[in-house]
Amino acid sequence: MCGKTRILMALAVVIAAGRECRAAELDNAELAALIDRHIDARLKTEGVPSAAPADDAEFLRRVYLDLHGVIPTSDQAASFLADSRPDRRARLVDTLLADPPYGEHLADIWQGYLVSPLADDRQVRADQFRKWLAERFNTKTWDRITTELLTATGKIDENPAVIYLIEGRLPRTVVDLTDLTSRYFQGVRLSCAQCHDHPLVAWKQQEFWGMAAFFTQVQTPGKSKLVYQVGVKDYPELTLNSLKDGTPDGFLSRPPTFLGGEELRGDKTTNRAALAAWLTSAKNPYFARAMANRTWWRLFGRGIVNPVDDMHSANAPSHPELLDRLARQFAESGFDLKFLTRAIVSSRAYQRTSRPGDAPDKQAALFGRMPVKVLTAGELYDSLVAILGAPMRKPGGPRVDTRAEFVQFFSDDGDPDPTAYRRGIPHLLRQMNSDQFVGRNVAALSARLAKPGRSADDVAGDLFVTILSRPPTVDEQVLFRAHVTRAGSLETASRELAWALLMTSEFSLNH
Amino acid sequence: MKVPLPVRKPQAASRKRLTRRDFVVSATASASLVGWLGRLAAEVPNQPRPKACILLWMAGGPSHIDTFDPKPDAPANIRGEFKPADTSVPGIQISEHFPRFAKLLEHAVILRGMSTQESDHKLATFHLHTGYQNRAGVVAFPSLGAIVAKELGKRDVALPNFVAIGRGPQEALSAGFLGPDYQPLGVTDPVRGLDFIEPVGPRQEFDRQVELLRQLEKPFHEAHRSEAGGAHRSAMERAVRLMSSEQKQAFDLSRERDEVRVAYGRPAAGAAPKRGEKNLTATSGSFGQGCLMARRLVEAGVPFVEVVMGDGVGWDTHRDNFPRTKALSLECDTAMSALVEDLKTRGLLDTTLVVWMGEFGRTPQCAGGGRNHWSKAWSSVLVGGGIKGGQVVGKTDRDGAAVTDRPISVTDFLGTVCTILGIDYKRKNHPAGVDRPIPIVDTSKGVKVISELL
Repeated sequence: MCGKTRILMALAVVIAAGRECRAAELDNAELAALIDRHIDARLKTEGVPSAAPADDAEFLRRVYLDLHGVIPTSDQAASFLADSRPDRRARLVDTLLADPPYGEHLADIWQGYLVSPLADDRQVRADQFRKWLAERFNTKTWDRITTELLTATGKIDENPAVIYLIEGRLPRTVVDLTDLTSRYFQGVRLSCAQCHDHPLVAWKQQEFWGMAAFFTQVQTPGKSKLVYQVGVKDYPELTLNSLKDGTPDGFLSRPPTFLGGEELRGDKTTNRAALAAWLTSAKNPYFARAMANRTWWRLFGRGIVNPVDDMHSANAPSHPELLDRLARQFAESGFDLKFLTRAIVSSRAYQRTSRPGDAPDKQAALFGRMPVKVLTAGELYDSLVAILGAPMRKPGGPRVDTRAEFVQFFSDDGDPDPTAYRRGIPHLLRQMNSDQFVGRNVAALSARLAKPGRSADDVAGDLFVTILSRPPTVDEQVLFRAHVTRAGSLETASRELAWALLMTSEFSLNH
Repeated sequence: MKVPLPVRKPQAASRKRLTRRDFVVSATASASLVGWLGRLAAEVPNQPRPKACILLWMAGGPSHIDTFDPKPDAPANIRGEFKPADTSVPGIQISEHFPRFAKLLEHAVILRGMSTQESDHKLATFHLHTGYQNRAGVVAFPSLGAIVAKELGKRDVALPNFVAIGRGPQEALSAGFLGPDYQPLGVTDPVRGLDFIEPVGPRQEFDRQVELLRQLEKPFHEAHRSEAGGAHRSAMERAVRLMSSEQKQAFDLSRERDEVRVAYGRPAAGAAPKRGEKNLTATSGSFGQGCLMARRLVEAGVPFVEVVMGDGVGWDTHRDNFPRTKALSLECDTAMSALVEDLKTRGLLDTTLVVWMGEFGRTPQCAGGGRNHWSKAWSSVLVGGGIKGGQVVGKTDRDGAAVTDRPISVTDFLGTVCTILGIDYKRKNHPAGVDRPIPIVDTSKGVKVISELL
């Protein structure tokens, strides 16, 4: 970024900040307005136009996918599109945040981050963990959830949070726990400093091992390899030096040290409890920022800091003041994730169209339009079920399990860029040709819609709303009428249209 | 029992150039070749055929002592029940249960000094496939197949550049940061062929649907011009292209003559798994057919094929080590010997490296009739690919417990495989979102390429 831009940006921020000197709690609408002031001021100084507002259908599908992880059913879509109340979007957001699928969707995302892909019986663990997490996201604040995860003890069946701490048949390695905890709860990548001081960043090797020292006490009774049966406990006598037999790369003996350099002092609690208490205090400089940035990243497809978990002094946020304010308001709300989410999705910035028009590339980078995101594997599966019902099992055929197998086949591990399409031939072949969804399910759907007496336009209207959550355009109606002639019957043509709509980029993307 | 392969007219061992005569021979020798020579035929004459690699993955970790590093001088509870047998190379002995492969040993190098760190199946499988251990980290490391696909594969061809046959170790077969173009196309059961390659309904209907799709898509792509949309559409078009291509016949084993299929070891029809042998399922025996498919794919120009043996972790013989290892060895012997012979007959052996390995070896001591995991000393085997065969590299002590000469780390091993294939293993990738370049093989602890076999 050039110096001139920086000055302009700072100026814009000062002007904007002047209007919001009231530092106390903001309500949702005020926080949404604050977001827009920051985004718009920056667009203005850079001379970049913002995109037009999204229409109701575009907003509807987007907000369902982002908050519930699934497209709306045709009934839900039809009723929202028929709603003419001026506050219909806010009402919809309130409903979505209050309904259980909100927590289930977040749980689905977070189990992907926190359950080791190398855990034994990963699917069983993921299900246990997801169920636990869904209930937490629906009812608890982020500091509570984090504390329960970081301090979990006992057996898995009694406390599924323990799953965060295990891999293989053992507790996760201290090195892995350090890496995960710093990335997902503090938004920093300490692992770069495991073996040597980071060349560009403040993280030093001793900071990595100082953080690692908080996790050394996690162990199974008797170091048993039966972690799935016996669970984990804290053993105060275990320190970094007691793990030295494994000698991880770059090992450095350090006392437990909080990020920033403060050592843990004679605490009566366990090391992990001390870490959780430090991390989730309202004054912690990392915790709220990490989640604010990650939530923004998830909803906008791009963080205010990128990569989403790589915050450090040499990696400047695109909108520094905005990130500060989001983090502060999130902390002041008591780490209420619904509060933060509601404010973001209520902003004009979130409710813009994803069509670029004639805008320069910078528009997306400055949040002047909504980027096109890719449906996650879970979103894809759940949306297919919403349209077609549960997949049919072939009589005598292999057990087509279901969501778990589908998600494993289609998913990306880790934190893939939400805007990058990362599927290839195997996935597309399956989408086009697997009987799991597009065989009898599609036939059943089209047979239901293409009843005698219904016109081509009636059927096209239903299929578009059911699959793409929007009515067809006039051109699309014309196209379908011509297709009915080619296919020979309305029912055949409907089946083919349903298939084709399910294969469109529009369906596979969150736009 | 050795089943002779139907021998076609032998070709030069090394195909340095494609002559007109080669085309005629290839095109007429076997019906299975007709039509999908496209990629081969497109080669520029005078260019050596690019190398390819077939990885025979022995899931579960075979005992080195019971396969390629017999220990006749060890005490009975270590040397086990199998006898060492002579091979076509004087002085080299392997287990008696690889009788056919023993006669091909002049093409093979046995690496007896494998010495690695991980002794958990998943962690070791990941390490051996990617060369990296950092499993919770920021970087999604690509599997060897994806690396080879990227380095040696052609773009803009109907066939994918990385195919995985059998029930593979999912998490270790990912293309990671190399992205979807290098993601393996999986074939769960080689006998059944490629799943989802044919449409659910009639072909005519499918074609009409695709045409409708293309028309419907246009306005969305024109209005959004998004990278994700472009990538989705291009993947869709490539999948449609594969469905319509003749190269997809490479996945269809019914096009091979019966003698050939039998030579690779056909799964015994309806052979029920023996009681207690829970890992030998009804599909055991499909490994040979997987090897045959691998040969067809390499012939059609696919640079990397992984064939998994031991559905799940079949070689994980904590119990019944000897009967199970014997059965698996014999099945493996038939399949991989047929593969090597077939590649040789077709003039493909010098350009095709066959790698035989699992994720680790097994303990010298047999406790309760089984052997447990052992990563400190074990064996892998390389065949073909232009290496100097007929050698053993590395040595273990009397009990097969420790490497006494020429230890080979994971990175030494992968660096060597890359070098044989003509890939510069030091070359760095720059994955998005990672602020440091990632070499193909981790060079931070030094890589000692096994130069004596080059």
